[in-house]
Amino acid sequence: MTISASQHRTRNPLERRYALLGVLLIAPTVLILCAVIVYPLISAIYLSLFSIYTPTLKGSWVGLGNYAQVFGSSGFWGALGTTVTWTVGTLFLQIVFGVAMALLLNQNILFRSLARSLVLFPYFVSTVVAVLIWRWLFNDLYGILSHLLIQFGVVDMPVDWLGKMPNAMASVIFVGAWKFFPFVVIAVLARLQTIPEQLYEAATIDGAGVFGRFFDVTLPQLKEVLTIVILLRTIWDFKEFDLIYLLTGGGPVNNTRTLPLIVYQQAFGLNQMGIAATYAVAMMLVMLAFMLIYLYRARRQAP
Amino acid sequence: MMPARRSTTMLANLVTWGLVLLISFPLIWMVVTSVRPQTELFQIPPTVIPRAITFEHYIKLLQETPFLRYFMNSMILATSTTIVVIVVGTLGAYSLVRFSYRGRETLAALVLFTYLLPSVVLIIPLYLMMVKLGLANTLTSLVIAYTTFALPYALWLLRSFMAGVPEDLESAALVDGASRIGAFIDVILPQALPGIISTALFTFILAWNEYLYALVMVNSDQARPLTTGVMNMLITSFNIEWSLLMAASVMMSIPLIIIFAFLQSYLTRGFGAGGVKG
Repeated sequence: MTISASQHRTRNPLERRYALLGVLLIAPTVLILCAVIVYPLISAIYLSLFSIYTPTLKGSWVGLGNYAQVFGSSGFWGALGTTVTWTVGTLFLQIVFGVAMALLLNQNILFRSLARSLVLFPYFVSTVVAVLIWRWLFNDLYGILSHLLIQFGVVDMPVDWLGKMPNAMASVIFVGAWKFFPFVVIAVLARLQTIPEQLYEAATIDGAGVFGRFFDVTLPQLKEVLTIVILLRTIWDFKEFDLIYLLTGGGPVNNTRTLPLIVYQQAFGLNQMGIAATYAVAMMLVMLAFMLIYLYRARRQAP
Repeated sequence: MMPARRSTTMLANLVTWGLVLLISFPLIWMVVTSVRPQTELFQIPPTVIPRAITFEHYIKLLQETPFLRYFMNSMILATSTTIVVIVVGTLGAYSLVRFSYRGRETLAALVLFTYLLPSVVLIIPLYLMMVKLGLANTLTSLVIAYTTFALPYALWLLRSFMAGVPEDLESAALVDGASRIGAFIDVILPQALPGIISTALFTFILAWNEYLYALVMVNSDQARPLTTGVMNMLITSFNIEWSLLMAASVMMSIPLIIIFAFLQSYLTRGFGAGGVKG
């Protein structure tokens, strides 16, 4: 893809000057990434071996003691379970809604581009805005959601959406799905437009109905893009902080406290920076598998 | 058109638009709440369509709250982040796509890796770094922190846009006697410009919407951006004024709507090239 004429193994002065120029151009990027990512990353691993009190930043070496404490605590495993519940739940809804909406928006409907923009918008508004709107919709006294449900006779008392379980987890999962499913829509929509029409015609001639065509033609064609989307969204949902923190703050009684929230809470609530770093590194280790699979796949089909 | 076919299209239209309206209902409700008189807000049962329209909440927002201050901070913050990231990223992407040197492929993979890293891992060391540098509570600290996700993101997008510029064009310029840098400025940049602009807009959105770093690094109204600022208005108020908060939400989303209109045609490309952060 990037093989130019000057890229053969033999190196002449011009090529060497080009290589030097190439290194010079990438140098600012490398320097910045080292300063803001590589150094902090190593530093986080190093900090995870200390016990540090946040306000004074004074610490003492505890070695792997933090890890023993974290992996031996119910807090970590509970939060891991919560994180998995949230990730699987919201991801499932995102994929189902996303694919369905993409199929609908791929049809010849009126004002199609307006419809597409409206569907994509939740993804672009700030999570803060999304959360404010939903907390207003969920409001126990004046919230429109409870009111509508009462009016249609579904419930007879305002629902406590965020204050008790399992409502809180369901609400967080649902709002997460609303906020992030447009990502699936865009990715799938882009792919749908490149499926050759002949495939559908052939399937129709073979007697396939609407569902037959979906399962025999569309779904196999979407396999590749869906794999990438699921990997990316798994990683992103797993590390999501803003949405959950702002909707429930991890409550009620830590029932929606995912791993990123525990890290924040330990570092800036309980002032235990060392343990917080340990939680963060442990969380990263869990994510690493997904990150490596994604890297492998993305590099195989690099631009 | 056959009647059966026509009724199918009707049905598709109805179902799709029904769902689209359902999905956008929260956003519509935000706008409706923000223009509703205070007295109408706390009616039980609430009415869906407001009886009167008022802009009192917007006026109050601008006059009696630090909203404008936050807005300016966010503008400065997102613009600075975008400029830094696009300048550095464009040079870097050009290098990754069109030059050959040892470790280039590894570097590209590392960039993608850093893009997937969770912020909570980096935030503790970054916070300590800013305290040490005396940058805590400044917009500068946030610009630095935002490069952690914005630079890998922009680099990855720009890389795919630059790879799309035909190599022959550059070769032709080189044969005509242009230097590599000359060819870059005269040939690559104009060709990749639409990609660079859309990357810049995506980066701006990322910085505009960021919350966690702003929450940790900045603790004064002087440097607080919109996300934490508006959230602070919710937390610190005695009785929550939802119409005020909805007005703030609308105002906060206006730059995004403007950018969104520009981005329409690039959306699919931007996503195809490695995705928008979420």
